[in-house]
Order: sequence, then C-alpha cells, then structure tokens
Amino acid sequence: MSTNDTQPRSAEPYSPTDPILEIRNAEVVFEMSRGVSRVLDNVDLDIEREEILGIVGESGSGKSMLASAMLDAVVDPGVLSGQITYYPQDGEPVNVLGLSDDELRKLRWEEISMVFQGAMSSFNPTMSIKGHFVETLEAHDYDRQEGMERARQLLSDLYLEPDRVLKSYPHELSGGMRQRALIALSVVLEPDLLVMDEPTAALDLLMQRSILSLLEGLKEKYDLTMVFITHDLPLVAELATRMSVMYAFEIVEKGPTDDILRNAAHPYTRALLNSTPNLDAPLSEMTSIEGSAPDPVNVPEGCSYHPRCPLADEQCVAESPDYHQISEQHAAECFHWEDAAEAIPFNIDQTVIEEEEAP
Amino acid sequence: MSDGDPLVSMNEVEVHFEEESGIFDFSDTDPVRAVDGVDLDIYEEDVVALVGESGCGKTTLGKTAIGLQRPTGGSVEYRGQDIWDAKDGKGDVEIPYKDIRRSLQIIHQDPGSSLNPNRRVMKILESPLKRWQKQMSAGDRRGQVLAMLEEVGMTPPDDYAGRYPHQLSGGEKQRVALVRALLMDPDMILADEAVSALDVSLRVEMMDLMLDLQEKFDTSFVFVSHDLSNARYFAAHSGGRIGVMYLGELVEIGPAEELINNPQHPYTKVLRWATPDLKPGGGATEPPVRRIDIPDPQNPPPGCRFHTRCPEAREVCMEQTPPEYETAELHYTKCFREDDTHAYWSSPTVEDESDEALLGGEAD
Repeated sequence: MSTNDTQPRSAEPYSPTDPILEIRNAEVVFEMSRGVSRVLDNVDLDIEREEILGIVGESGSGKSMLASAMLDAVVDPGVLSGQITYYPQDGEPVNVLGLSDDELRKLRWEEISMVFQGAMSSFNPTMSIKGHFVETLEAHDYDRQEGMERARQLLSDLYLEPDRVLKSYPHELSGGMRQRALIALSVVLEPDLLVMDEPTAALDLLMQRSILSLLEGLKEKYDLTMVFITHDLPLVAELATRMSVMYAFEIVEKGPTDDILRNAAHPYTRALLNSTPNLDAPLSEMTSIEGSAPDPVNVPEGCSYHPRCPLADEQCVAESPDYHQISEQHAAECFHWEDAAEAIPFNIDQTVIEEEEAP
Repeated sequence: MSDGDPLVSMNEVEVHFEEESGIFDFSDTDPVRAVDGVDLDIYEEDVVALVGESGCGKTTLGKTAIGLQRPTGGSVEYRGQDIWDAKDGKGDVEIPYKDIRRSLQIIHQDPGSSLNPNRRVMKILESPLKRWQKQMSAGDRRGQVLAMLEEVGMTPPDDYAGRYPHQLSGGEKQRVALVRALLMDPDMILADEAVSALDVSLRVEMMDLMLDLQEKFDTSFVFVSHDLSNARYFAAHSGGRIGVMYLGELVEIGPAEELINNPQHPYTKVLRWATPDLKPGGGATEPPVRRIDIPDPQNPPPGCRFHTRCPEAREVCMEQTPPEYETAELHYTKCFREDDTHAYWSSPTVEDESDEALLGGEAD
C-alpha cells in the first residue's frame, strides 16, 4: 500500500511567507425560506505566489462559491464574511472585502482575473474577438497598441492564429478555440493571479489535456499564479502542485498533489480517488461513494462526512474535527486520519512511480 | 456477443450534411462529411462504445445506427430489414418502421433538456406506454412506472413520480431518461454522452446501473463518449468493444481491454495520452500531436485523414488511404503501420514547414 516515503516535487520546504492571496474564515450564507443555507463554511486558504493550486469538489460542494469569494463577487442575496487579503508583488497588502466599487473593478482583471466554464456565454455574440480585446484594454485605460501586441502573442502561445481568430466572431470558432481565446483575454491585462472555474469542462478530453499543457507554459512564461477549480480530480492532478479537496462547503484535506495521490488521509478523498473511472485500476475495484452529498441547509452535525464514512464513530457525530497535520504541508480534517489508508485501500498501486512516461 | 445474426448492421454508411445556403447563393458548398464509409455490426446484448473528439461523427454514427439519422450513402439494417426502405415502404417490408423505431431508443447527453419541464415524472413516463400499449389499463401503467423507478433506485417511487424535472438532481434526471427508454422494451439503446454531464464521482454509479439493466433486460448499448476511461469501464464490464472515430471514419475497433492495453492506431494512443491517470509525479506533458485542433470536416485531408496531426505520419500517408488490417481477433486498425511490408516503412517522414504548422485548425 502507500508508503510514507514521499518526495515533494520541490526540495525547498513549505514557506507560507510569500502568499499572493490569503483567505481567513470565509463564510457565505444565503437566507432561504427553508432556513439559512451556508454554502461556504469557515474556509482558510493560502495561495502561494507562482503556484498552481487545484481546488477539487463535487457539484454543490461550494467550490464555485469559493472562487467568487476570492474576488468579492458573491451574488446577492448571499452574504460573504471573513478576511481576504491580496498581496501585490510590491506594495501594501489589500483588504479585498474593504474595497470600493472602483477599486474592486481595478483589482479584477488587472490583478486577479477569472475564467469561467462555457466560453460561449462569456463572449458577446455580436462582437468580434478583436472587439473584446479592444474593449477590455480601453475600459482599463491600457495602451491599445501595446495591448493588442500582447494579445497576438498570447493567442499564438495558445496555438491560435492571431489574425484569423481576432477577426472571427465567437460562433465561428470551435469550443476549444473559444476557450483558449477566453484565456488569452483574461490575461491580456497582465494579472498576477488567474482563477479558473471548470475552464475545460465542456470540452473533449484531448482538448482539455492540451489546454492544461498550454496553461503550464503560460504560467512559466508570464509568472502567473493559477487556481484551477474542478470536479475532475485526475485532470487537475496532472497540473496542480498543491490541491485542496472540498466536501460540504469546507476544505477537508489539503496538501501537495503527490502526497494526496499517494497518501490521502481523509476518507472522502480516498473514496473520491477510488470512484474515478480510469485506465489503470482493475475493473472490479472502481466503486462509487455510498450516499449523497448534504443539503446546505442541513449539514450533518460533527464531521459533515460521517453519515457516508466507514470509519465514523461517536466522536465524529459529536464533534467537528480540526486539521490534523500529516506532514508539514499536508493536513486533513479527520479524527481517523491514521486509519484511513488501511480502511479504504486505493485501487491503483500508488507506490509504483511512473518511469516510462512516453515521449 | 457476436453469435447469430447482427441486430443492427451498417454497411458503407455515409452521412454528409449539406450546408444551408441562402436563396440567392447558387455556389456549390462542400458537404460536411460527418460519417464516411463505416461498416459496423452490432449484435444482441452487445455493447459498442464509440470514442473520439468533438465533431468526429460518433453521435451521428450512433443516431444512424438507431434509425434517427438517414444515411446519405450505404445501408442500415435492423434484423435484416433495411430501416429506410421500411420507412419509405420500398420493396417487401418485413418489419414495419414503427416496430423498428420502438426497438431502438436513445438517452441524450443533457438529461435536463430532454425532459418536459412542465410535466411530472409520472406523466413523462406514462406517455410512451399510452402510445405503444394502448390496451394497458391506467392502473397497470402507473404500476409499471413505479416498479421501474424502484428498479433504478429512485425510492420511494411515489415521491419521485410526483416531482417535476427541476426537483431532480442530474443523476436522477438521467435515470428518468433511462427508464423512459427501457419502458419501450428496446433491443438497443444509444447512450449519447449519457454520463459526461455528471460529476466524475457519480459516473461509475450510473454506469453500474446501466450495466445491471443491460443484463436484466437483454439490451444492446451503443455508448458514445469522448472519455476513454468511461468507455473502457462500460464496454469492458459487458464484454463489449470500443470503436475509435476520427473525422467520420472508424479508425480502430476492438474488444475493450485489448484496445486499451494494446492500442495500434497512433490516434488511439493520443486518446490514451489524453486520459489522465492518478499516478503521482505526473505533470502536464506536450500533446503528442502535431496540431491540437481537428481539421475542417468539410475538407478532410487526403490520404489518411489523421496525417496532418499524426506523430508517425510519412509521405505515403498523405497520398494513400490505409485499408482495414486485422490486428487480432475482432481487433481492426486502419493504419499502414500494421503491415510490416508496406511502402510506409521506406517512405520519408513528413516534415512540418515550421512551428507555424502547429497553429490554427485548418490544414490548408
């Protein structure tokens, strides 16, 4: 089974000294006729400068709410509370939740930019792709000539023909081209942080994987920090250096990607890994997770995963677990983190480190 | 599988879509070649998973197989009866079109938009029975609907029968669509990306359900997906085949595990690369294709259609179309690399002019 001899991808120890965004006690509540719906519950998260962080969760786990919270973009009547601090490369830290509307508009796009799934609905169907770039540059008072040069460069970095794409209308491009054009648009104002919510969800797998490798190149070239939010754990595992796993509006486990793949300590993360169709696991051992995710109005007391967890005992019903540190960077919200590996064995042998990785 | 006569047999099937042109536009436009020259037999209790990129024709081929899409060339037969002859009343029609239509059912990709939002689940599921089994009493009809809902794990069935589609989760909507198809007692169901809209963690559960029902109701499935790991799960569990499509052609087909473990066509290998694994120490690698966008299906490349992106392409691939080679039992591949003595091996490799070749989607 999984070994503890984990080798972090980088040799340096974890240094929370250079965060780009710091989230503390973030909470989002909606008042509903059925009761109070808490769709983000006390989330703490640090995003390191120039890392790729993956946030993984099923539909309705609160992951998109977390993305909106990062930009103070939670829709009414949702109420966001907590502390969100943005640290620019140079300059004073910014309290995101205390900004005026004008300051917030500047922060979005110029410092923190977002890409949503479904590029078709992000573009104006009556405007050419070029029109979108021009409009964005002008709205933020950027130099148009310089900006368009950057746009052309970005488009070719994403394997698109700048001339052809710029003069096209959104419907004239394929889904994959459209999504790549949207990514280029979102970084044309040179933001430091790019938050992507299911940026590849509607595309076929080959295009998804191709976009991932292009994103990695983009990150290196422009020193971007990326947050990649998805329900697709295996997809983001290819890209992210660190992952946070969400369940029932909380982050239940966080750590370096390799540690999570080899040695996940939360029973939910382990069950999630085992439920994923893939090409390597023996057929009979891919199993779904029993039960269903909780309703935000009625989250179970204690550990929110206890009704579905094979390890749950009285303590899990009575108390909500804190983070238990598995290694310096790897933590899980579970009382039984030491027993999880034995109780829920992985269906793929994760001790074998891939050697072949075909060229 | 593969014993007896095929349930559905497709021969040299072609589906070309003409582009709509304006009234005053008299120029000839090239048709979109969605499906081109495909032969495929599907047997009783058989499963065929069709995989490929968006626009490769997998859904069109699936719809042709169940008689929803009229082919522009070739023939589609249901138990030996040409489906479109039956529809047109040509020749001796042994099996009426009505019966064929009923035996071949579909589950759509987006369960939300395939269910009438203004009707309760009971009403949605009763209407096919009302239409096809007129002699059935109202009580029996309701009883059968409830029994089927219970069968697919929607309990208590009375509660679910009274709901509207928006009160169901994505997985539950897909189950209702599955029940609606099964109530027709079909011989074959086309599941068009039936699990793709679900969370990754819910896909195994939905596929397990379909597999159970396949066994219980002796149905064949055509399972269309862009995801090789879903296709593998579904096809391998039922002893079925996976067919790989590229630009309207079936380039490789074989038993599920054989095709996954021993892929022959360079395109199948690319799809395998595109399927993420859960192994640590990964990291995104460069896509193993020379261009990442699919060429225009209106104007597919000559020779082997994959040659513009193929990492193994040689000059002969630009001129000649590879025939189908038998790789192993039931495993067929359309690639010159299968033939050890082919001129391919002495043909020079294709050189891209420059990096610019990677850009854009059209191969001009």
